[in-house]
Amino acid sequence: MLSILIWLPILGAAVISLLPRTIPAINIRLTALTVTGLVLLWNIFLLFKFDISLPGMQLQEYLPWNETLGLSYQLGVDGLSIVMLLLNSLLTWIAIYSSSQQTERPRLFYSLILLVSAGVAGAFAAQNLLLFFLFYELELIPFYLLISIWGGEKRTYAAMKFLIYTAVSGALILATFLGTVWLSGSTSFDYNTLSTQALSTTLQIILLVGIVLGFGIKIPLVPLHTWLPDAYVEASAPIAILLGGVLAKLGTYGVLRFGMALFPEAWSILAPSLATWGAISAIYGAVTAIAQKDIKRMVAYSSIGHMGYILLAAAASTSLALIGAIAQMFSHGIILAILFHLIGVVEAKVGTRELDKLNGLMSPIRGLPLTSALLILGGMASAGIPGMTGFIAEFIVFQGSFSVFPIPTLLCVVASGLTAVYFVILLNRTCFGKLDNDLAYYPKVLWSEKIPAFILAVLILFLGVQPSWLVRWSEPTSTAIVAAIPPIEKTVTTQVALDQ
Amino acid sequence: MDFANLASQLNAGTILPEGIVIVTLLGVLIVDLILGRTSSRWIGYLAIAGLLASVVALLFEWENINPISFGGAFNGDDLSIVFRALIALTAAVTILMSIRYIEQSGTALAEFIAILLTATLGGMFLSGASELVMIFISLECLSISSYLLTGYTKRDPRSNEAALKYLLIGASSTAVFLYGVSLLYGLSGGETELSAIASEIAISGFGQSLGLVIALVFVIAGIGFKISAAPFHQWTPDVYEGAPTPVIAFLSVGSKAAGFALAIRLLTTAFPLVADEWKFVFTALAVLSMILGNVVALAQTSMKRMLAYSSIGQAGFVMIGLVAGTQAGYASMVFYLLVYLFMNLCGFTCVILFSLRTGTDQIVEYSGLYHKDPLLTLGLSISLLSLGGIPPLAGFFGKIYLFWAGWQAGLYWLVLLGLVTTVVSIYYYIRVVRMMVVKETHEMSEVVKNYPEVSWNLPGYRPLQVGLIATLVATSIAGILSNPIFTLANNSIAHTSILQPTAVVTTQVSAMNNQ
Repeated sequence: MLSILIWLPILGAAVISLLPRTIPAINIRLTALTVTGLVLLWNIFLLFKFDISLPGMQLQEYLPWNETLGLSYQLGVDGLSIVMLLLNSLLTWIAIYSSSQQTERPRLFYSLILLVSAGVAGAFAAQNLLLFFLFYELELIPFYLLISIWGGEKRTYAAMKFLIYTAVSGALILATFLGTVWLSGSTSFDYNTLSTQALSTTLQIILLVGIVLGFGIKIPLVPLHTWLPDAYVEASAPIAILLGGVLAKLGTYGVLRFGMALFPEAWSILAPSLATWGAISAIYGAVTAIAQKDIKRMVAYSSIGHMGYILLAAAASTSLALIGAIAQMFSHGIILAILFHLIGVVEAKVGTRELDKLNGLMSPIRGLPLTSALLILGGMASAGIPGMTGFIAEFIVFQGSFSVFPIPTLLCVVASGLTAVYFVILLNRTCFGKLDNDLAYYPKVLWSEKIPAFILAVLILFLGVQPSWLVRWSEPTSTAIVAAIPPIEKTVTTQVALDQ
Repeated sequence: MDFANLASQLNAGTILPEGIVIVTLLGVLIVDLILGRTSSRWIGYLAIAGLLASVVALLFEWENINPISFGGAFNGDDLSIVFRALIALTAAVTILMSIRYIEQSGTALAEFIAILLTATLGGMFLSGASELVMIFISLECLSISSYLLTGYTKRDPRSNEAALKYLLIGASSTAVFLYGVSLLYGLSGGETELSAIASEIAISGFGQSLGLVIALVFVIAGIGFKISAAPFHQWTPDVYEGAPTPVIAFLSVGSKAAGFALAIRLLTTAFPLVADEWKFVFTALAVLSMILGNVVALAQTSMKRMLAYSSIGQAGFVMIGLVAGTQAGYASMVFYLLVYLFMNLCGFTCVILFSLRTGTDQIVEYSGLYHKDPLLTLGLSISLLSLGGIPPLAGFFGKIYLFWAGWQAGLYWLVLLGLVTTVVSIYYYIRVVRMMVVKETHEMSEVVKNYPEVSWNLPGYRPLQVGLIATLVATSIAGILSNPIFTLANNSIAHTSILQPTAVVTTQVSAMNNQ
């Protein structure tokens, strides 16, 4: 069942890379779309097969692989991963759809995207630590190539930076995985047989710090984030969608799955500092975004801010906050995707991303009215305006965390306000104002180019109005994860909160 | 002594694989003498057939219940079988590579193959040698053949210089090794067989003496030279740059495997009493090799020099398994050397192909190769990424196993250093991939712009293609389908009596009792 999500894209990648050279790019794109469309349909089918009342792993698959290493091909989903799997296949489809029809070297491009999609799906479904790591490292090289071949001006630098940061993150994660499994006396890397109860608290904290740092590079948390603006900005629109929408979620997923769920005791000890860290990250992302002159860079920094909320919610570790974290992961994914897609359209039509040069795109005749309207919607969703999915997720996060960490939560609320500030700046400078009469002869935006944005916009609005469809998948799972975590001592919390 | 007793003492069937290689070697020489250069069209295949036959003969010896032969001079246990097969396979692939390369350089193929087979013989005997004189002779057999091969393209001044340097460093390290060996002979009161030396030294109370430590260090200097561990690595970059490329392909895999086989056998059998000391020395060597090999490789502009430093770094990774000193540690060494065979030979095949078609091996000249020769690009990318440890290629599983074994043995810092240097190594491996894949058509280098039409029908290209595809397929799937190789590596260690912890303990205990 789950294997299809991994192997169908790989098969597709193999087929595409073997297609003869004479086939035009557009047909290759069509093939890739078909393959990912099938994967998406299959994923939706699995969503219906998924029993939302059960907290544990479902749809499990097991194949022995390598006993010497303790590596087995073990897959399974729970409420946390099923949502992420859907996000992955949805955004892969959107990314391929929003790629240009005249992409250069199409066979390489589409097979790499399919490989990335397979790797991410594998990582979300893997129930063996080593298998997870294998899939985690699998997206390293394809992404490096996707950024460095089809990117902007400084793509070589950006891609190399991405590669090294991700490789360091992988090394940290592998080290902690080896440490966890060996020290806990387990013989295999299977997730469900692993228990860290016997470890001393100091060891648990060391291992947890390794996990948080390793995945924190990927999320990214503030001092570890410097690869992100370069990589997001230099990547082409479809790649940026995948990078921000899907890959960043691997980081938060890893923190939740391998940090929070494996080390509950250490987690409750570290939680106050993690909450503060998340709040700092959120404020930093928002403030830096205000200062940017490039709209893509703005959205990239906004992504840093929004990922900070997830860390806050995870630190609070109430059942509500965790549901909010998962909802925030999904909604951040689709909101970032719509923003990057629209920015890609604007850049393709207008030819610039500079705030100082863009103007008056709302103009009904010679501007890009529909695109700008959708951009406004995306910006509002990102800033947390009610009625859209971003608000729901953030609100659940804040409500869930306030009782535990009042001050970091308030800081995050402030950051959320700052988000509105820079999105207003962005929308004001790009959509409103007057068109420059000498330069404004933009090509028409075709209907086919708008479809992904429409789909995402409908999804954003629907989940904003009907949020139970967003949260129902992960309720039992979050309750189960949270139940294992010892309550965070109030005295410690207020102490830390006051110290800030 | 009657004949039956003598025959059982000799147990000559153990060296049947080597016998096949010797017959092949003589066959190659004689055929060349009779037919001259016309024979060069098929003489390579004769040698490969001989080597493969020898591998098959090795298969039949697996789990030999009576491995000791020649009165203790040679040990045909499973450990030696794995290493002998590894060396023979390396030689077979090297011959596939060298047919065109040697022809193009205008030298005789048969002599080259004959020297290569001699080196193979030396390596195979070294893998099972368990007596001091035997070790020395096989080591020198390997070394002298390597010097000859290094300077084989004698019209090239760089090849000459490399051979001279290699000979000078090699001869002095052999002398140091020989001094260490003679000390061992003296300390043990006149024993030359490794296990006898160990028990004699234990009895005579030289267990922790200065003499034994000096002997140990001298022996390690000799081994370190063969496996090119820093700081005994200085010959590697110069030799790799000067020598013919197929030769360094053999040196980087076959010769290194022989060195590691010697290290395992000599250190575990003859020096069990100073195990902590040699583990400490090898920890230092591993740390130095990983850091130096991987950091200096960053700055190389020539492909062959880059691969030289990378091979120093890889030796550092393999030494983690040796330092661990557990069964899993040795098994991970064997496994890594096996996959290293595939990926390194695949990489060198691509380097040879590129330099045959363009005549250069500068890294910048690889720019834009993707557009002209996709197969070569794929082969070199896969092998370099596998060397860098990218999943799901063979090298990833090899590294994981090494690190896992190291972690189990408590070598936390060594494993962490291995992880960090792996990240460094990804940078310089990916640099080459970037040159080939990422560069656009207008960024192509001059030699790639004038790249000849890809054709495999020219004489000597077909074996290169076969070698490339075989090693490429192995590198790509040996990781995913690694269970048989893991079983092989684990069994080769588990079936080897000298590596059983109980065996060592009992000999030591009995030695103590005798005291």
